[in-house]
Amino acid sequence: MDNTLSFTKPLLETPFHKRTFEACYNNDWYRWAGYKIAREYSNTELEYTSMRNTAGVLDITPMHKYDIKGKDAIKFVDKLVTRDVTQIKPNQVMYIIWCNEDGNVIDDGTVFCFDTNHLRIFCAERNLNWFSDTAIGFDAEVNDVSDSIAALAFQGPLSCKILHLLNVKNIEQLKPFFFDSFDLNGSNVTISRTGFSGDLGYEIWCNPQDAINVWDSLFKFNRDYKVLPAGMNALEMVRIEAGFIQPNADFMSAEQALRPNRMRTPFELGMGWLVDLNKNYFTGKKSLINLKNKSLTKKLVGLDIQGDKPAIGSVLYDKNKKEIGIVTAGMWSPSLKSNIAFGYVDKDHMKIGSKVFAEIYHPEELEYKKIWAECLVVKKQFFNPPRRHKVPADI
Amino acid sequence: MKKFDVIIIGGGHNGLVAACVLSKKGNKVLVIEKNEKLGGLANYSEYLSNISQEVLKELNITVEKNTSDNFVSALSEDLNHTVLQINGSKNVQFLQTSASDSDQKSFINLINKYDLFARTLRSFMFKKPPRVKSGSRSDIWQLFTMGFKVRLLGKKNMRELLRVIGLNIADDLEDNIESDCLKGLISNEAVIGTNLGARSPGSILNLLYNQATNNSLFRINKFNTNSFLKSIEDICKKNNVEIQTDKKVEKINISNQSVNSVLLNTGEQIETSAIISNSDPKTTYLELVGASNLDTDFIRRTNNYRSRGTVAKVNIEFKNDIKIKNLESKYLSGKFVYAPNIKYIEHAFNANKYNKLTSNPCLEFYINKNKISANVYFIPYLKKPSHNKEQILKNVKLILDKFIEENQILSSLIETPNDIESKYNISGGHWSHGDMEIDQLLMMRPFYGSSQYSTPINGLYLCSAGTHPGGGITGINGVNAAKQLLKDKGNG
Repeated sequence: MDNTLSFTKPLLETPFHKRTFEACYNNDWYRWAGYKIAREYSNTELEYTSMRNTAGVLDITPMHKYDIKGKDAIKFVDKLVTRDVTQIKPNQVMYIIWCNEDGNVIDDGTVFCFDTNHLRIFCAERNLNWFSDTAIGFDAEVNDVSDSIAALAFQGPLSCKILHLLNVKNIEQLKPFFFDSFDLNGSNVTISRTGFSGDLGYEIWCNPQDAINVWDSLFKFNRDYKVLPAGMNALEMVRIEAGFIQPNADFMSAEQALRPNRMRTPFELGMGWLVDLNKNYFTGKKSLINLKNKSLTKKLVGLDIQGDKPAIGSVLYDKNKKEIGIVTAGMWSPSLKSNIAFGYVDKDHMKIGSKVFAEIYHPEELEYKKIWAECLVVKKQFFNPPRRHKVPADI
Repeated sequence: MKKFDVIIIGGGHNGLVAACVLSKKGNKVLVIEKNEKLGGLANYSEYLSNISQEVLKELNITVEKNTSDNFVSALSEDLNHTVLQINGSKNVQFLQTSASDSDQKSFINLINKYDLFARTLRSFMFKKPPRVKSGSRSDIWQLFTMGFKVRLLGKKNMRELLRVIGLNIADDLEDNIESDCLKGLISNEAVIGTNLGARSPGSILNLLYNQATNNSLFRINKFNTNSFLKSIEDICKKNNVEIQTDKKVEKINISNQSVNSVLLNTGEQIETSAIISNSDPKTTYLELVGASNLDTDFIRRTNNYRSRGTVAKVNIEFKNDIKIKNLESKYLSGKFVYAPNIKYIEHAFNANKYNKLTSNPCLEFYINKNKISANVYFIPYLKKPSHNKEQILKNVKLILDKFIEENQILSSLIETPNDIESKYNISGGHWSHGDMEIDQLLMMRPFYGSSQYSTPINGLYLCSAGTHPGGGITGINGVNAAKQLLKDKGNG
């Protein structure tokens, strides 16, 4: 008898597992929402390079997907998020964040509009409880459909070309932040021009039974275009370059933080552009109006760091060696040939062009090398090529 | 469109008291009541045990008092009933009982202990509850005096108060008295109108709290309800308060997080800049204000606010005058309690926990010649109202038959918590608009974000029993809410 509760099989396998298991030489798995996802298939740098030069395939099935159906579906999302979504059109995607009553960010995600009575939210953390409580008083039903949709991210400069070669009709005409239904090698799939890499890229949503066909199709032209499956480590690299932040890595989700001063407002995360204080009432509006008028005490900024040693987990100082913040994510960027990071800085150093210092502990053959590196405060978005926004996309 | 300074939603006693206070300060006030008759839940009792002194002073009224003796009879199945005479909060006398002398003594000691603790609680009962982290000097001073009042009890008593305040009533009774009948009598006061059994933690707190608001452990009849309601109605009339009955507020219109007008079921819209809602917190927030105007966290707390009623009102008319077996007729004017022992109460409570009708409910009733007016508990509030009223009546009659000399029922009227909900628009049909438990009291009543009578909506205030100090007909909620409004307006 197949005992699903057995300790030998604790994690779920995605519909792509047959393929990801074969590809994952390292057998290095990461736990994401109860699923087994490859952390590194064979070599992180190689996977990263494929994403930046040809295209990479990421299994993002564990992403949480919430269907919102009902007359008030749009009204409900409008009450939930800080942006005005009342004007959302069918086939449109919007990047959204949502806050609690104190104006602290709970999570970010994307909302897909199928029609005015049917929307779907995609996000990294579990949010069913929050969404259900927000839906009280609205004619909108929230359902977790995470397990019924398989998903791949197909990211990279050649992603459109390969889809085009696969006879996905008019894929190059799909605008950024839009989605549509397509036929991909005989499988009916939904493709959106969205992604976490900051480059041209698509996300492909399909039925679990079509998963293997979709996966195999993407590697069909590998003789000419070396497409590689990419793991979570490679994704971490591209998302830092693209300037995307992650809950519970760059900030604590307000629903999960135990210490009240660990929560962050959209303004502190540099997401003020997502907050529309003139729209209808939404959760946190009252607090955000107050916060808007107050000056920030800390802010998450991008850092351009001297040298080539990644500043992961470093503490940030001012020129008088006073502690002013911490680095939340850092890497050496092979594409940009620079040492980049996200970090919190205090109110005197949040302006672009400010100088701060990072104390980097770099392990070198069983000894730590302590590096005192100067950092320049820059925009978080390090990598933003024009092809990302181009319509029609490069084929 | 008509315009008023303040609109009061609901003409319950708290709403009327608030109208009196506001109109005295020269505000143009409108009271809107759903029913034909004003007074709300106060109409359920002929007499009240306590009206806050502050209310009497603030409104400058005198209320007719009940001069007859106060008896409380605990009915016993062996017909050896216990009868107490209550003169004031401390002075309790046994007129007849089957309990031993030492038990009677322990009983009196226990009552005195509870009275002492209740008096300590009462000292901060009728004030605006302090907020813990506001930093305002008056709040800190009030927190300090609350602590100081408890400390003033002395080392021994303070320890005892802190020991029992979270306990269940059954434990404390079993430690002190033997007689089942006496245990049942006190347990009745600790659990009636709540979602607590005699063995539920917090039932002593509920007892002390009720004792503090009602000024008596047994909730004796002291003030005439009609006289109280009439005198506040008179003040309203004198001060030109407009009262519209038979009209229901459907919606509070809000623009920019401030109240703007109310929409009535007649289609009328009435403009105003301030509203006091005498409706319970759940109805006010979820129905009148609407979830779309409030934060999700707040809606969550509103939804989790516990307000399921447990008491049904049963009025029975008999053919002949009622006589209780083995009891002198002079005691008939008093209150009767049938809660024979702790186990019995606990079993009745168990059924309620699982939304079932108990076949052995507890009773508390008054006799008026051939009529009985009873509070029957535990009768659960059901999501889909499907009470078998005939069964309730049958269960009550089976109990009454043990004690009442043969008689014939002419008519009966049963109002379950669901009926009370629809009649008075109280979510859950709860006596006190919400359970009086430690997490729903003082600065946490009704819940975080809505304490001190104010709400997240500018210009909207609460004055119902869902605010501090909670249920019991005292009128203080109305006074405090009105004062808070005046303070915010700047003419308090």
